[in-house]
Amino acid sequence: MAEGAHGVIVKIHAYDEGRAERLLSLGVTPGASVTVLQTFPGIVFLCDQTELAVERGVANAILVQPQETRP
Amino acid sequence: MSCHVANEHTAARPTVLGLRAHPLRVALVGQPNVGKSVVFGRLTGRYATVSNYPGTTVAITSGRALIGAEVCSVIDTPGVNALDGAISEDERITRDVLAGAGSDVVVQVADARNLRRALMLTSQIARFGKPTVLALNMVDEAWARGIVVDAAALEAELGVPVIELVATEGRGLPELRAALVRAALPTVPAHTDPHQCAAWAHEVTGRVRRVSALSLARIPEALARATRRPLTGIPILVVVLYALYLFVGVFGAQTLVGLLQDGVFGRGINPAAVWLVDQAHPVPWVRDFFVGEYGLITMGVTYAIAIVLPVVATFFLMFGFLEDSGYIPRLAIFCDRIFRTMGLNGKAVLPMVLGLGCDTMATMTTRILGTPKERLIAILLLALGIPCSAQLATILGILGGVSFAALATLFSVVLGQMFLVGWLAARVLKGERSEFILELPPIRWPRLGNLLTKTRLRVWWYLGEAVPLFLVGTVMLFMLDRVGALAVISTAGRPIVTGLLGLPPATAQILVMGFLRRDYGAAGLFQLAHTGQLTGVQAVVALTVMTLFVPCIANFLMIVRERGLKTGLVILGIITPVAIFTGAGLNYVFRTFGVQF
Repeated sequence: MAEGAHGVIVKIHAYDEGRAERLLSLGVTPGASVTVLQTFPGIVFLCDQTELAVERGVANAILVQPQETRP
Repeated sequence: MSCHVANEHTAARPTVLGLRAHPLRVALVGQPNVGKSVVFGRLTGRYATVSNYPGTTVAITSGRALIGAEVCSVIDTPGVNALDGAISEDERITRDVLAGAGSDVVVQVADARNLRRALMLTSQIARFGKPTVLALNMVDEAWARGIVVDAAALEAELGVPVIELVATEGRGLPELRAALVRAALPTVPAHTDPHQCAAWAHEVTGRVRRVSALSLARIPEALARATRRPLTGIPILVVVLYALYLFVGVFGAQTLVGLLQDGVFGRGINPAAVWLVDQAHPVPWVRDFFVGEYGLITMGVTYAIAIVLPVVATFFLMFGFLEDSGYIPRLAIFCDRIFRTMGLNGKAVLPMVLGLGCDTMATMTTRILGTPKERLIAILLLALGIPCSAQLATILGILGGVSFAALATLFSVVLGQMFLVGWLAARVLKGERSEFILELPPIRWPRLGNLLTKTRLRVWWYLGEAVPLFLVGTVMLFMLDRVGALAVISTAGRPIVTGLLGLPPATAQILVMGFLRRDYGAAGLFQLAHTGQLTGVQAVVALTVMTLFVPCIANFLMIVRERGLKTGLVILGIITPVAIFTGAGLNYVFRTFGVQF
């Protein structure tokens, strides 16, 4: 996803138990809305009201249904 | 003392407080960085360190609070994102408080902006079967960002008291105290599947929370954006480091130290002490004990108060400002890639930066890291390369007077050595690194009150911790000197100190004392440099060796406490040769190429 893109999480690919659980506990769950804030040097996105910084591998595992920019 | 709360509400709710043989124990539980320690301070009047980043509290603090007519015990716990599954060491501490007999009532402190996540945690807390109160903290910040939570509706949904707080201003605290007797088991879904809990939290949040697009927090939001983008973030980092250098390195280490060392001590206290001691006409060794070359006052007190204290105080003040602003975690975005090659991830920037304050405390903070391998590497690197505030003080004090190139050489050698050791450790040690997932706190203007309290407490802590050791160190030096052992040490150390490192023989004793406290040794070097006994090259070599050494006895003991004696000795066994050989290599290179500073 590009910077500024907005969408709703559809699915999180769990490459191991730990990742899914950690993302879940931070509120990154299917149905939550996300906005990509930046992609370099690290990926930062807003999930609901939480600002999260993650590495690329993690970001790639979060499947998002893109939406039009925020109303 | 009355040890139970009698109230008609409690009678109506069988799950709540019964008769107890001990004071009511209230555990403050919640996500990281929601303000549990502020609530703790408000309830008990005790100060627990408050900062604006997750992981400030990594151990339990408890205090007493008068609630109603009863004295209760209040427990501040490390922040938790989850209580089951793959959890970190600090989260396990909190889970043990909830699971055991250590708590009777739970106050879940939540960030009002992040209700959805708070509710997910509520559903996990409920499984421990303790009566609960939900405290929505920072409602002012939520309002400023257009988020309004209907507390009454939420109370109806959960069946527990929901209290709105602005803990930093004390708003809502009387209501929270009053609500404790109404604590109840929250109505949460019975299933334990995390996805269903998340769906439930999502639904409830949707019903009780209104979000409008209107935000009044434009300036902090713009700053938050600027600090994490490379184009603005890197210049900001440079400005922050330069400000740190000006405030601590120039104002603290030069202006204030100059005033204290040459003025207050050099012209005031020390001559007065000499005069006072001479009045008693003591035997020579008694005189030397107090005011001689290794005198308790002329060396011990002067080192601690005149050389190290000003720098520590200015550093803690500046550092507290950075902590409270929420800036430090944002550095993790820039560091992630570099740290990954050392078997860590960006999150490790937190203990590393904290180490600049005190390596011993930072060693404890490694608990926030995900895997044992990461914790071990972080502890090793802290002990190896991160100079603590007191040491940073003397480095800036000595090399600031030599040249900028000298300072840059020292830091690049130390960073290079850390990188090399980290890179090797990442390959040698078994285990995984965890993925980089870090919550970024909002950028805030630090509160002056908290900043001053925190700095004052840290300075007191420094005085309590370091000054006695400085005095003990001085007495030891004095006695070693008396029995002639200093000369022996200097002779024994000569092959390494003068041969390998090219330093004056007097440095041997300083290096020995440096193990007692690295900053004490560094203060000794400061004295040597101040009296012109060290050349620029020698200063760089000596300080590099000292920086790479294990910081102090306290740090070593903390490593042993966190990771065991064996690991502690292994770390010591790695660091000592690395420190000496790096110094030797540096000396060789400088001499071969005729480098001057």
